[in-house]
Amino acid sequence: MSLEIEEFLHTERLPHIWCPGCGNGIVTAAFLRAALDLGLKRESTVVVSGIGCSSRASNYIDLGTVHSIHGRAIAVATGIKMARPNFTVIVLTGDGDGAAIGGNHLIHACRRNIDLTCVLFNNQIYGMTGGQLSPTMEVGGRATTAPHGHVEPPFDLCRLTEAAGASFVARGTAGHIRQLEKLIKKGIAHPGFAFIEAVVPCPTEYGRRNGTANAPRMLDDERTRSISKAKAAGLSRQELAGKIVTGILHEDTTAPEFLQAYTADARAQAEEASAPAAKEQK
Amino acid sequence: MDNRSTSAVLDSVAAMELWHSHLLREKIDQSSLLVQGNRACALGALDAGVRFFAGYPITPSSEIMEAMAYELPRVGGVFVQMEDEIASICACIGASLSGWLGMTATSGPGFSLMQEAIGYAIMVEAPLVIVDVMREGPSTGRVSAPSQGDVMQARWGTHGDHPAIVLAASNVADMYRLTMAAVRFAQRFRTPVTLLADEVVGHMRESFSPELVGRYRLTSGDFDFTPGYVHPDLAREVHPPHILGSEAHPHVTGCTHDETGFPTNDAKKSERFLHELYDKVTNHRDELCLYDVKNEGKGRVCVVAYGSCARSARAAWRLAELEGLPVEVLHLYTLFPLPIEVIQTVARRVEFMLIPELNLGQYAREVRKLAENWTTVISMGKIDGTLITPREILDQVTRLIGKYESV
Amino acid sequence: MNPSANAPQGVRAAGPEETETPRVSARVGLLADRDFVEVRFCGSGGQGLLLMGLILAVAANHDHRCVVQTESYGPEARGGHSRSDVIISDTAIDYPTLDSADLLVALSQEAADGYTRSLRREGILMYDSGKVTNPPSFPGMTIGVPFTRLATEETGRPQTTNVLTLGAVVGITGVVSVESLTKAVMEAVPAGTTEVNARALARGLALDYAEWMVDSC
Repeated sequence: MSLEIEEFLHTERLPHIWCPGCGNGIVTAAFLRAALDLGLKRESTVVVSGIGCSSRASNYIDLGTVHSIHGRAIAVATGIKMARPNFTVIVLTGDGDGAAIGGNHLIHACRRNIDLTCVLFNNQIYGMTGGQLSPTMEVGGRATTAPHGHVEPPFDLCRLTEAAGASFVARGTAGHIRQLEKLIKKGIAHPGFAFIEAVVPCPTEYGRRNGTANAPRMLDDERTRSISKAKAAGLSRQELAGKIVTGILHEDTTAPEFLQAYTADARAQAEEASAPAAKEQK
Repeated sequence: MDNRSTSAVLDSVAAMELWHSHLLREKIDQSSLLVQGNRACALGALDAGVRFFAGYPITPSSEIMEAMAYELPRVGGVFVQMEDEIASICACIGASLSGWLGMTATSGPGFSLMQEAIGYAIMVEAPLVIVDVMREGPSTGRVSAPSQGDVMQARWGTHGDHPAIVLAASNVADMYRLTMAAVRFAQRFRTPVTLLADEVVGHMRESFSPELVGRYRLTSGDFDFTPGYVHPDLAREVHPPHILGSEAHPHVTGCTHDETGFPTNDAKKSERFLHELYDKVTNHRDELCLYDVKNEGKGRVCVVAYGSCARSARAAWRLAELEGLPVEVLHLYTLFPLPIEVIQTVARRVEFMLIPELNLGQYAREVRKLAENWTTVISMGKIDGTLITPREILDQVTRLIGKYESV
Repeated sequence: MNPSANAPQGVRAAGPEETETPRVSARVGLLADRDFVEVRFCGSGGQGLLLMGLILAVAANHDHRCVVQTESYGPEARGGHSRSDVIISDTAIDYPTLDSADLLVALSQEAADGYTRSLRREGILMYDSGKVTNPPSFPGMTIGVPFTRLATEETGRPQTTNVLTLGAVVGITGVVSVESLTKAVMEAVPAGTTEVNARALARGLALDYAEWMVDSC
């Protein structure tokens, strides 16, 4: 298995910077297996990341990789996709990078329904800067900037992106590797903006302050808290508290994709431009 | 007038301008046309081969974006209005990394938002053209009051030591040909180039002599958009570009990196890399520094000016001629890299250098550092949102020369 | 590589050329013989002042003269102040904004009150006497014409006021040729309004200013 994904790994750059027990490697590997299964080509696949622990993934991936600036991965990816519509463009980001500083770009990419795939590693904390609270941290969670317990409610990123117009929305966890891989694969194949939230454990910065720094236990916890969309449908809001609803939560393959709409319009404009006489007569 | 007829009038302003810009593109060598500065900028970009534009509306620059939105799809290009200026410039960077040349236009507040990404573009050597049509600041300021308050932001807006190429337009023809020059410099040196204009230059309409454009038009050979291309004369200085989708499937990072493209913590390597970024620009000052001297060698006072102030300076020089006052005008089209030799050559021969600008002496400080060994440098700043008049400059010149006479 | 071959051609020696440009059409009127003239249109947003400035500037351009047009307006798309300045010259125009107007055309009381001081003493003040009911004191030539009323009478459409006013401006002052003005107006007006605008223009051009002169204060 590991040999297989080495195809798309800069093995000479390993070991990676992630802590023991971190879920980022699991998600990265799930993405790489999805990329291999889909037969993605190096010359037409670009991975864009921002800044943060998860965004470091682009440092180890042997595809076209852009390690951009904090929060702006989706904006850079939009430029790449518009300039090279035949590329497969994947954004790897985190909850701080993608939902706090980059939240605006996230919802607007959803609204445009541009054909990007965004895999957001959600560990509910800023790991790289040393354990500050993130917009997905639940009420009562502890962080260096929430030393007395967090009082703000978190984003439900899947509901947010669906409401914003993403045509594919899914959630998986590092505890369900196979499911996550499938979700990412489906997301990449989906024609439109695909958002996949990957819930990952951060034992070092999150776990230590919130009950357990034991990584296997954190993964187990993710598994026990996970519930499928179908099962969740019958539960009340109270019953759903603390649960992680996983699977494909929203999928609409008929929603118009931004670049296709743009290209069709541009073609019409170009035709009109090349026939000015016809326009004058009008 | 009722609302319906008013909107018809406004529509016809836009329609007329579009009509004129088409005429300009089709009959550029035949007759003189009236063109707005911002539209001329867009035309320059299109003629230079820019095919990617991402922007966000802001007065007084929006007409550039509007023209690009109209024209780009018609010529096989791509336009997108992004959710903010940060997204705009980042999308341009994405396009530049894909082998296109990204361009955006904004004004002070948006330019401030772009600064972090400009640093990234410098670091990853992504060619970009950023047009900043300056308005009074700080903050919202006055949206339709001209200013030159962004000069130092254009030079040092992003953090860290970095090179900067900054041009300044003073008329509609400048908006056309300096945009072309900006494209060329960006592409040659693989770094962002900022073109500064101000509200007056951006919004005014001026007769745009095709003859003039013809003369200053760059030839198509000046632009080579082949992905991965580095001009042979710069092969030793400009790092091979990252082109996504190329065989090399590169890694692009804003971290200080070495020749492999991956981050490095090696002190020597990072120092060398940062110096290389700087040197590729400063070693080519001669090529980059565009300027023009009026009444060369005949002045006791030299008025050093750029942008719309250069027009006031020229008018002041004409008035001075009538009054027999010895005045030179050094009109700078390139503010950075600093035209060191140009300024020092003039400084050696004049008694005073007078720098009128629509800020409190941002560029005068640079000139003073270069020239104070030889001449007296006087800053003439104005921040009331109106242009400096020729008479104001002439009065200052008269005072300086009078003071000299009385000594 | 030769560095001079490298430099953008001619950019170094930039700047407008100072050559006399040929005049094509005859201009007749009070300001027709000026080699440099500054005109300001002012009023409130929505009156079409920007378009008036633009049409006059395009007409001057058709006359093969140098022209700079600038404008200023408040944030309001309707109402608020609005002005459009046109500088026309036989030689290159350096200073781009209006210094002091040779001709001020005011279409609202506020504009007349606010901008009359930008007129030079020997300049000409024109205003819509239906809107400017309390003309500001001005020592020079003052012409008050009920532009809106005349336009409504002529075409039934008050929207043609600006074209009629332009006709009057050019008929009286000759800042541009009638031929060029007509061409510029026809380029600018919306399709389907050519005929009414041509009537408004003709009515404006035919105005006899002596009839509308106001005693200077």
